Amino acid sequence: MISLSTYLLTIIITSMIMNLALALYGIFFKPHLTKKIIALTILGDTANTFAIIVGYRRWVFSNTPSRPPVLVNYTNVSQEELIKFVNTAVDPLPQALVLTAIVIGLAVTLFLVFLALQIYRLYGTLDVREIKRLKG
Amino acid sequence: MLLVTALASIFSVIAVYYAIMEKNLVRAVVFSAIQSTIYAFIYYMLMAPDIVLVYIPVAVGLYPAVILILISKTEKVEKQ
Repeated sequence: MISLSTYLLTIIITSMIMNLALALYGIFFKPHLTKKIIALTILGDTANTFAIIVGYRRWVFSNTPSRPPVLVNYTNVSQEELIKFVNTAVDPLPQALVLTAIVIGLAVTLFLVFLALQIYRLYGTLDVREIKRLKG
Repeated sequence: MLLVTALASIFSVIAVYYAIMEKNLVRAVVFSAIQSTIYAFIYYMLMAPDIVLVYIPVAVGLYPAVILILISKTEKVEKQ
């Protein structure tokens, strides 16, 4: 007998795997370069979501729900409060990595957009089949 | 809490499907922005509020703006 939270987390992870598969399909099989860029942003966001899910702690006890890894009252914090915070907060390390990955993804997307614009100026189209035919 | 997150992830699959399969590129960008909004909600529900603060301006604001500028300078419809 599986618990309800395990079932719901399975639904979330399955949806993310389906999003990953759809984004990969868009990158590999869609001929238009703008659609490929859109699919690449979706792929990066889904990978970031996997990292967030890895850091999430599923608490089976309903009396200790998980909390964000933000210590609000940090002056004169007692030891019991600190132990309680460490035992209930989610893992902050994947969140820090994802924060960096989002900004790097934005830079990569801007670079790809300018490459696509230059390809349109050179070839007059963004369809990769047309570009292949024009090059040959 | 996780029930709402699971429902949001199922809706995100629908948004990603329409974003990939749509022939009109402007509509595809709008569906991609809807997917980003749902992802921001999922991040908030998975106890990552600092990610939400960065992710909403970047993925709902900047990505669609940049790709819409690209579409306005190039083609608007994907040919079959």
